[in-house]
Amino acid sequence: MIAAIGVSKDYHSETRRTYNRVLSNVSFAIKPGEKIAVLGRNGAGKSTLIRLIAGIEMPTSGTIERTMSVSWPVGLTGGFGGTMTGNDNIRLICRLYDKPFQMIRDFVEDFAELGKYLAEPIITYSQGMRARLNFALSVAIDFDCYLIDEIIAVGDQRFQRRSQEELFDKRADRSLILASHVPHIVKEYCSRALVLHRGRGKMFDDLDLAFDIYSDL
Amino acid sequence: MIFTEIRAFWRSFAVQRRVIGALFMREFVTRWGRRNLGFAWLFAEPLLFALPVIALWSQIRSPFEHGLPMIAFVWSGYLPLLIFRHVTGHALYAIRASANMLYHRQVTPLDLFIGRQGLELMGNIAACAVSFLLFYALGLVEWPQDYALFLIGFFYMSWWSIAVALIVAALSERYEMVEHIWLPISYIYLIVCGFMFMAAWLPTSLREVALAIDPPLHAYEMIRGGLFGNRIEVFYDMAYLSYILAFITLIGLWLMRDVRKHLVLG
Repeated sequence: MIAAIGVSKDYHSETRRTYNRVLSNVSFAIKPGEKIAVLGRNGAGKSTLIRLIAGIEMPTSGTIERTMSVSWPVGLTGGFGGTMTGNDNIRLICRLYDKPFQMIRDFVEDFAELGKYLAEPIITYSQGMRARLNFALSVAIDFDCYLIDEIIAVGDQRFQRRSQEELFDKRADRSLILASHVPHIVKEYCSRALVLHRGRGKMFDDLDLAFDIYSDL
Repeated sequence: MIFTEIRAFWRSFAVQRRVIGALFMREFVTRWGRRNLGFAWLFAEPLLFALPVIALWSQIRSPFEHGLPMIAFVWSGYLPLLIFRHVTGHALYAIRASANMLYHRQVTPLDLFIGRQGLELMGNIAACAVSFLLFYALGLVEWPQDYALFLIGFFYMSWWSIAVALIVAALSERYEMVEHIWLPISYIYLIVCGFMFMAAWLPTSLREVALAIDPPLHAYEMIRGGLFGNRIEVFYDMAYLSYILAFITLIGLWLMRDVRKHLVLG
C-alpha cells in the first residue's frame, strides 16, 4: 500500500521572500494492483506529487507511507546520465538496483527496440526513444508500484500497446500512478483519478466525472 | 535486538557501498568516455598541469634554495597544491551536476560527492605517483628519506582537500557567491598554503600563528620532512591537525545533510 496523509509541499520562491504552496493537505491511498491517474493542468503539482511518492523529495508537512517497492519517477527528465550511452545507463541502473546486467539488457533491448542506438549517448535520442528506454528499464527492474510521468503519451502506438500489455496482462498485480493529460490513455490504464487543482486533491472513482471536472478547471 | 540493528546497519552500508561504486563508474564514463585515452586521462590530466609549471619554475629559480634542490622542492609544493585545487575546484556545483541521479531514492547527495571527489582525488594521487616515479627515473628527485612521513603528509593533504571540498560543494548549492569568490580564494591559498615556504623560514612568532591557522602547512611540512629527511627542520602536529580536520569535516557533513532542499530536480 501507498498512503499520502495530509501532504503539503512548499517551494521557496526564487525571486521573492515567500513560499509557493504547490500541494495543500492532499490525502489518498492505493492498494496493490490498483491503477490511478493524476490529472491537473500544467503546474498543478502532478510531478511534485510523484516526486514525493517516489521519496526523492520530502513533504513540507504530512507523511507518505510505503509498504511496497516504488519505482523512480519514470518521465522525460531525471534518472539518467545524458552523455552516457544507452548501454552504460543500463549498466548504471543495474548497479544501483543490484540486478544482473545481461538479463536486464536483454529485456530492454527486446522491449524498447532501440537496436544499435543503445550504443549511442542518450542525449542524441528523441523523446519517444527516451521514453521507451526509461519505461523498459523500470519494468525490467521490477517494482510493485510504477510512477509514470506523462511518457506513455510520447511513445508511438506500438509502444503504447506493448506497455499496456506489460502493465496489465503480465503485471496485473502491480500498482500504477500515472500523470497524464490524455483522456484515452487514462481511461485505458486507470480505474480512479486524483484531480489536482490549486494545491487541493480530490479522488474520483468515476473517470468521466473526473475528466468533466478537469476540463472545466 | 542489538543484532538486528547491527545487521540493518551492514545492509544499508552494503547498499551505500554499491551506490557509490555505481556513481564512481558513472563519473568515470561521463568524464572520459570509452574513447581515445580513456582511463589514462585520470592521471594524465593533472600531469599536464604539473610538468610545464615545474619545468618553468626550475628554469627561473636557482637550482638550490635554502640548501634544498629546487626541482624536488617545487615538486613537493606543486603536486599537493594540485590535489587541493582540483578536488575543491570540482566540488563547485558538484551535486547539481549529477542531480539527475537523485531520482533514485537510494542515492544521496553525499554519495554523489564521494563518487565524484573520490575519482578526482584518486586521479590526482595517481598523478603524484606517476610524476614522482618519472622524476626519480630522470634523477630529478631522490627517494624519500622517511617514506612513512611522506605518505602520511599526502594522506593529510587529501583529507584537508576533501574536507574543504565538502563545504564548497554544500555551500555552492546555497549561495551563488561561492562560485565567484572561490577563484580569488584559491589564488590566496597558493601564497599561504606552504607551497612556497617552510615553517622554519618564518620568524618564531609568525610560525606559531601560521601553524595554528594554516592546516595545509602541517601537511606540507610532513611531505617535505619525509622527502628531505633531517637535512631540514620541520614543524607539524598530527594530533592538532587531526582535530582541526575532523572539525572541518563535521561542518561539511552537517552542511551537506540538508543540501537536497536547495536543489531543483528536473
